[in-house]
Amino acid sequence: MTSRLAFQDRTSLAMLALLAVLLLLGTVFSIAAPQFLSARNLSMLLIEFSMTSVLALGMLLLILPGHIDLSAGSGVGLTGGITAVLIMHHQVPAPLAMLVALAVALLVWRGMGHIIVSQSIPAFIITLGGLLTCKGVFWLIIQNTTVPVSPGGAPNLLAILTTYYLPPRPSYVLAGLTILVLALLRWRSYQQQKLRGPIDKELQLLSFLVPAQVIALVVLCCGQFRGLPLPSLILLVVALFVHVLLTHTRFGRALYAIGSNEEAAFLSGIPVGKTVVAAYTLMGALVAVTGFMQTAYAGASTTTVGDLMELDAVAACVIGGASLRGGRGSALGVLLGSLVMACLLSGMSLLAVPPEARFIARGVVLALSAWLDVRLSRLS
Amino acid sequence: MSAPALTPNAAATAPVLQLRGVRKRFGGIVALAGVDFSLQPGEIHALCGENGAGKSTLIKILGGVHPTGSFDGEYLAFGQPARLQSVRDATQLGIAVIYQELVLCEGLTVAQNLFLGREPTHGPLGLFVDHARMRSEARELLGRFGLQNELDIDQPISTLGVGQKQLVEIVRALHQQSRVLILDEPTAALSTREITTLLALLRGLQARGVALVYISHKLDEVFALADRITVLRDGRSVMSAPAHETDAASVIRHMVGRTLTELYPARPLTQASTETPLLQVQSLSLAADKKSPLRLRDISFQLHAGEVLGIFGLMGAGRSELLLHLLGAWGERRQGQVLLGAQPLPWPLTPQEAIRRGLVLVSEERRRYGLLMDSSVGENLSLSSLSSLTRPWLQLLNEELEQARNTAISQKLRIKASGLQQPVRGLSGGNQQKVVLGKALLCQPQVVLLDEPTRGVDVGAKREIYEHISQLSAAGLGVLLVSSELPELLGLSNRVLVLGGGQARGLFTREQAQPEVLLAAALSQKPTAAGAPTVTQEVR
Repeated sequence: MTSRLAFQDRTSLAMLALLAVLLLLGTVFSIAAPQFLSARNLSMLLIEFSMTSVLALGMLLLILPGHIDLSAGSGVGLTGGITAVLIMHHQVPAPLAMLVALAVALLVWRGMGHIIVSQSIPAFIITLGGLLTCKGVFWLIIQNTTVPVSPGGAPNLLAILTTYYLPPRPSYVLAGLTILVLALLRWRSYQQQKLRGPIDKELQLLSFLVPAQVIALVVLCCGQFRGLPLPSLILLVVALFVHVLLTHTRFGRALYAIGSNEEAAFLSGIPVGKTVVAAYTLMGALVAVTGFMQTAYAGASTTTVGDLMELDAVAACVIGGASLRGGRGSALGVLLGSLVMACLLSGMSLLAVPPEARFIARGVVLALSAWLDVRLSRLS
Repeated sequence: MSAPALTPNAAATAPVLQLRGVRKRFGGIVALAGVDFSLQPGEIHALCGENGAGKSTLIKILGGVHPTGSFDGEYLAFGQPARLQSVRDATQLGIAVIYQELVLCEGLTVAQNLFLGREPTHGPLGLFVDHARMRSEARELLGRFGLQNELDIDQPISTLGVGQKQLVEIVRALHQQSRVLILDEPTAALSTREITTLLALLRGLQARGVALVYISHKLDEVFALADRITVLRDGRSVMSAPAHETDAASVIRHMVGRTLTELYPARPLTQASTETPLLQVQSLSLAADKKSPLRLRDISFQLHAGEVLGIFGLMGAGRSELLLHLLGAWGERRQGQVLLGAQPLPWPLTPQEAIRRGLVLVSEERRRYGLLMDSSVGENLSLSSLSSLTRPWLQLLNEELEQARNTAISQKLRIKASGLQQPVRGLSGGNQQKVVLGKALLCQPQVVLLDEPTRGVDVGAKREIYEHISQLSAAGLGVLLVSSELPELLGLSNRVLVLGGGQARGLFTREQAQPEVLLAAALSQKPTAAGAPTVTQEVR
């Protein structure tokens, strides 16, 4: 049975398996803590999920060509810190402050990418150095204090990032449109695949129905609270961007090719160095975006913002089926992976699981997903 | 050699290994459709067949890679039903398989590799490796096979040539008291001298009573070595005969199921052209990097439109390096320049830029340098020509055009795959090579650099690849062909450039290029009469 399935179908099957895991997690948490399924909690969960996902999608851009970024978490803290300090201590308008932080992130990540490529030093080492350096600079900038995101709690572009909600009615319209576009895209790919050979119709239908239902469910839930939180819309844009980038552009092909066989990619005329540096630069942008959201969510830049987020991002990628050796992974998988991580974190904090146990649970899940990944790839 | 030799009397009756009606399927694909095979004690049994005929599956069953139960039919080893769960079981029975991909630890020395996993130890609980004993036993082992002059036990594997690595692998396998040694295309990557050493070693093993199964595409070797020849086609054994009762023509006929009258397609006539050559290499001197000594010295030649220029040389002559350098992927240029048409090719150069200007390489070792093994046929085909598939906006790919182009090229090259979606790992060697060729052709090149384009490819696919090469030159492209197989080089080339010791050792026209002449030039210390200094003046 499995051997008859085409590769793509097998990936969809793995995705469905992940959904089953999510359902299980949801059931367990909602039984243990009924408020887990409350509209308010789900809305919070959505915000946390969105922030993890944006960073994880950036991480995917680096994991695909066989690289990694361990400095992402401290970068999140650093960009938020720069913004908050500029706003609070230097009275810079929020949009300008965010632009400055974005520029810094782009520069730093481009620089790291350049060093890694031109000196051929393992990404692991350079970004580990980046982790420590960014953290040090971050703490230096905020002087180990707590810097609020806006003076006196007045709304500015940074603060509203996690406090603005798209009201229920426009949310429903947006969700409807999204589902419609999804249906159109699915129909097109179905027609194309039919030309190439026999396909499993039920699986095709499921792979439309499941995401459509998830979207509908999310929007209806959020409608019960205050509407769609802004981070989820940011995530929507980022996820679409990354998905199209990976599946329909030359850049995406190059990322997969480099991760699959760097030497063959080079000899085939793929600009290996340029592509990798560009991936790091994109990661810098996504680190900054995550940094803004995460700092706004915390309400202030403190020394712990962004702590260990790089590991959650890597875990989300691996759970979502990306291979740490490169060459395999997808945006949809990463979204599911980070949903698992977000559910786990949110559920545990609802159940008031002590932090030490939370660390252990995160570690076990990461190791388990890597083990599962190896098992699955051996099967195929 | 401590392998228990069977008595000659028993040898006549009981086969060492025997397969009866063995069938093996991979999903919907039948790899073996009822194969009978029997290996007599002390014989050298050659296994021939096109890629995809089932040879690799057969030896994987013999070697325990496909365990008992994963195939139908009988497998008898030493007269008993073999119940192999793993490679380890096969090894314990004394069946050793040497696959094409060598499995040695590059960073360890010859001695350390020979004793990997069973190092002699001393001290409490055998905690410490007894280096002295290991080295002396390794030396003794090499001596027993007459290889003490070929290999140095303290040399790291990474510094050895392919042929030497192969010898290490064989000695390591035999060291495990093997009674049967199975070799999958052992000479594919070896130079003539290395092949001689290897064949001598194999004959020595036969004299000690080891039975050998030998897979090769080189029929002259097969006939020089084998006692019996079995031909597989489409998962069946279609011929099994003592070597002296058959001949090469008959073996080829059985392999392809049709008569190959002419392996090399008729070459198009090349007129002497007065126009500018497609490619001019002018006194090129190359080194690996800034600190290294010169690898190639003062190389010059011209390649004209519609010409196939063969490059001949022994292992290590610098042929692959030259091609890689032309593509911008290797080396440091100390002197000289390269002209493509009338334009000098810039240096430093990247493969991306070289491909954009119309130079493309079909590299040797396709698994390592040519293919994304786990990606689909389609993704591999498009890899070098993505720029021509890119829409101006946001680098989006034109996937309809891609699909159409890939379908067309795979039909033209007759790539046998279940579809463009199939990962190339599942294709036979010949079809993988066609994918690499297709990828190059989709770049619409002016000059094609071919590095061992038919290595590890079966006879039928070879002929197809030859046809495509001559079509390329007929279409006015220039082809630089590096090949270790002299008949192939002579059959396809209009002229042959001989490299040796990093220098051009002569440029020969088709009429001058006799095998003995080329070999003599490659082995000589000095340039021959048609030699290097005048190469640029040479007119076709």
